[in-house]
This record gives sequence, C-alpha cells and structure tokens, in this order.
Amino acid sequence: MARTLRFDIFRYNPQDAGSVPHMQRFNLDENPNMTLFIALNRLREEQDPGLKFDFCCRAGICGACAIVINGRPGLACQTKTKDLPDDITLMPLPVFKMLGDLTVDTGVWFREMYQKTESWVHTKKVFDPNAEEERMDNAVAEQIYELERCIECGCCVAACGTARLRSDFMGAAALNRIARFVVDPRDQRSDKEYFDVIGNDYGIFGCMGLLACEDVCPKGLPLQNQLGFLRRKMGITALKQIFKRG
Amino acid sequence: MSIDAIMPVPRYSARDAFLDWLQMLTGAGLIAFMWSHMILVSSVILGAGAMNALAGFFEATYMAQVGGPLIGCAFLLHFVLAARKIPFRADGQQTILAHAKMLHHKDTWLWVVQAVTAMIILIMGSIHMWVVLTDLPITAAKSAARIQGGWWLVFYLILLPMVEMHVSIGFYRIGVKWGFIKTGNRAKSKRLELGLFSIFMVIGLITLIRFVTLAA
Repeated sequence: MARTLRFDIFRYNPQDAGSVPHMQRFNLDENPNMTLFIALNRLREEQDPGLKFDFCCRAGICGACAIVINGRPGLACQTKTKDLPDDITLMPLPVFKMLGDLTVDTGVWFREMYQKTESWVHTKKVFDPNAEEERMDNAVAEQIYELERCIECGCCVAACGTARLRSDFMGAAALNRIARFVVDPRDQRSDKEYFDVIGNDYGIFGCMGLLACEDVCPKGLPLQNQLGFLRRKMGITALKQIFKRG
Repeated sequence: MSIDAIMPVPRYSARDAFLDWLQMLTGAGLIAFMWSHMILVSSVILGAGAMNALAGFFEATYMAQVGGPLIGCAFLLHFVLAARKIPFRADGQQTILAHAKMLHHKDTWLWVVQAVTAMIILIMGSIHMWVVLTDLPITAAKSAARIQGGWWLVFYLILLPMVEMHVSIGFYRIGVKWGFIKTGNRAKSKRLELGLFSIFMVIGLITLIRFVTLAA
C-alpha cells in the first residue's frame, strides 16, 4: 500500500520583510520510484505554486537540487523516497546565501572559490592551434577526471563543521579543485605557488578532519584522500621553505 | 562589521602550517606519553614493587623531575594550539552543536567530544600533574593513599574516560588529517580507535581498583 509522506519544509522569503522563517507541513501520497525531485514538483503543482526549490538536469549532474534531507545534504533528484522514513524534513543548504525556501545561491560561492584557487591551468607555453595535442598518461588523465567529477552542488561545504564555523574556510570543493591541478602535468605552478593559495587556515590547515564532506558527497569523490594528500604536501612544502631560508 | 576597504597584498607565511605541525606533534607526543603513563600506573596490577621499580627508574634518570614539567608544558602548548579551532563564543558553540545534531554524523560528534573532553582534561589534568609533580617521588603507596582518601577516586573515574576518549579520537584524527588513514581503511581504523579506547579503559579501571584495594 502506498505511504502518505509527511514533508516538513523550510519556508522563508528573505525579500519579503514580513516573512518569518518557519516549517510548513505537506502530505503527499508516495508513487513508485518517487524521488524527492518528483515529490517537490508535485507539491508545487498540486499544493503550493509558491514553493521555491532549484533543479535543472534531474540526473545528478548539475548539482542544483542539493538540499538538506533529514539532516544530511544530498541531491533531491538522486534521493528516492522509498529510502526515507514517512517523515521527511527538508531544509536549504547552510553556509550559502538564502534566496527563498529551499533555494540557495551556490553560484556566487563557487565563482569566488574559482578566483581564489585560480582554477585554470597555469602555463607559460604558448598555444599552437596547429600542433598535435600533447599526450597524457592514461592513469594521470583518469586521476584528473576522477577529481573533475565534482558537480559543485555544495553538499560538502554545507556538511563541513569548519565551514559552518568560519565563512572564510575554502572547503573540500576548493581543496579538491587544487588537488586536480596539482595532479595535472600541464599546470606549471610550483608547490610554493599552491602553498600561497591553500597553505593556511583558510585552506588545508583549517580542515579539522571531520570527513562529513566525504560522507555526503553525492558523486562519491575521494575527498578524504585528497585532503590528507594536500596536508602532507603543503606541510612538507612549508618545512622545505623554512630550511631553504635557513 | 566587516568592510572591504583595503587591498591586502598576499605575503608568503608558513605560520599556519607551522602551528598545524606543532599541534600534530604535541598531540602525537602526548598520545605516546599517555600510553607510557598507562604502562607505569598499570604496573601496580602486577604489584606495588613493579610500579615502584618503574617510578624509581624515572626518578633516577630525572625523567620525572625534568620530563614531568616538560610534559606539562607540551600539554598546555597543545591546548593553546588546538584551541585555535575550538569556538569559544556562544554563537560558534551553538552553530557546531546544531550542525552535529542536524547531520547525525559520527565523526562530527567525535570532534565535539574531543573539544568538550579537552576542557575537562585541561582543568583536571592540570590538577593531577600539580599534585603528582609537587609530591615526588611517585610511589605505589602514595598513589594508593591519594585514591583511597577524599574524592580522588571520583576525580580519577571522571578523568580516566575523558583522557582515553580524547587520546583515541585524537590518534584517529591525526591519521585522517595527515592522510595515513585513507578511505579504504577508515572503517578499520575506527574499529581500532574503539578497541584502543576499550582496552585502555579496562586497564585503567583495573588499575584504579588495584589502588583502592592496595594495603597501606
């Protein structure tokens, strides 16, 4: 028999001075293979056209539908209601700028992050459009691809205790981004140049190792291993610099 | 209030890296010390003579007289370093508690446990060190007399689990933060952490019982 799901959804409109943050209860009959994305669309179509939430691809690729589902950040389109209890609480992602109900602005955060991490291949080589593309070792290419799979949903940042405490912390998404360029042989940045970006408490040394980023990442990125790798690498870079000075 | 009124020029600084190294090294040193400490005090289970012999060795080599205060300094330094990450303002404390409650995430809770036990250990550990180091040499009879008198048994029944929790979680977290524990062996390492905690708690409790029953 189909369940009736009870949704408690966060409602707030920061643009309306009279709006007060509150939870609103909705009931909805469960369909087979229902995802939270489908449930939210049905709620909007059938019960409240003013309900705000983000979505785009419906396939776990765009990262737009990330919300906090019963306390855990995750993607609405990848979460099936059959895996959840009858009572489902939906909240917007913390840390990011609230736009309304379940919608937050992750775009500004990620743009700032890309600027901070200088998220592009740094090279002095002049591009020759007629030259054959340089070959890359397949294992390295796969390693880069593995880290490139980040869909910028913001779940890792929302789940990060340090990011909750300190808005200037770069978070796992940014550190993973740097790790991606460290691996890339085309990027000519030295370890010291990477250190200048993340070798501080805003970057890798701010990480307290709570690992919620790893545990909630909807794409299963190897964040724990990257954070450990970067801490060792940046720690050793700092030691080398101290001895060089001496 | 924060305003963007300056154009900061980034300058190379290894300060945070250095402090992080120091936090890890003082933590690792204190873990090693606590395990050695456990060997010393639990030797009383074998008999007062065994503990006195070990304590006598530390005394004769000046490890108690010099090493003791040095450990005390490392203890305070570790607190100052680790406290950089602990929220001392009510809003920060509320945020991290609400976050841990929201997330239902064990590792986040373990960090909260580490921060809370740190505060208790800071006070109780300081009292313990003061009492022991101002009344050298360490002997089984003196330790037993202390535990048999006043509220000291209650004191150590609180301090013991606090220290064992802090040490075993700290051991696990150093591994995680510095990448010695990877995704593949994280579950195993967590079991090891729980195992270490359980073993040291059992040894610690037996040691306390031995002190209570040790004839003066």
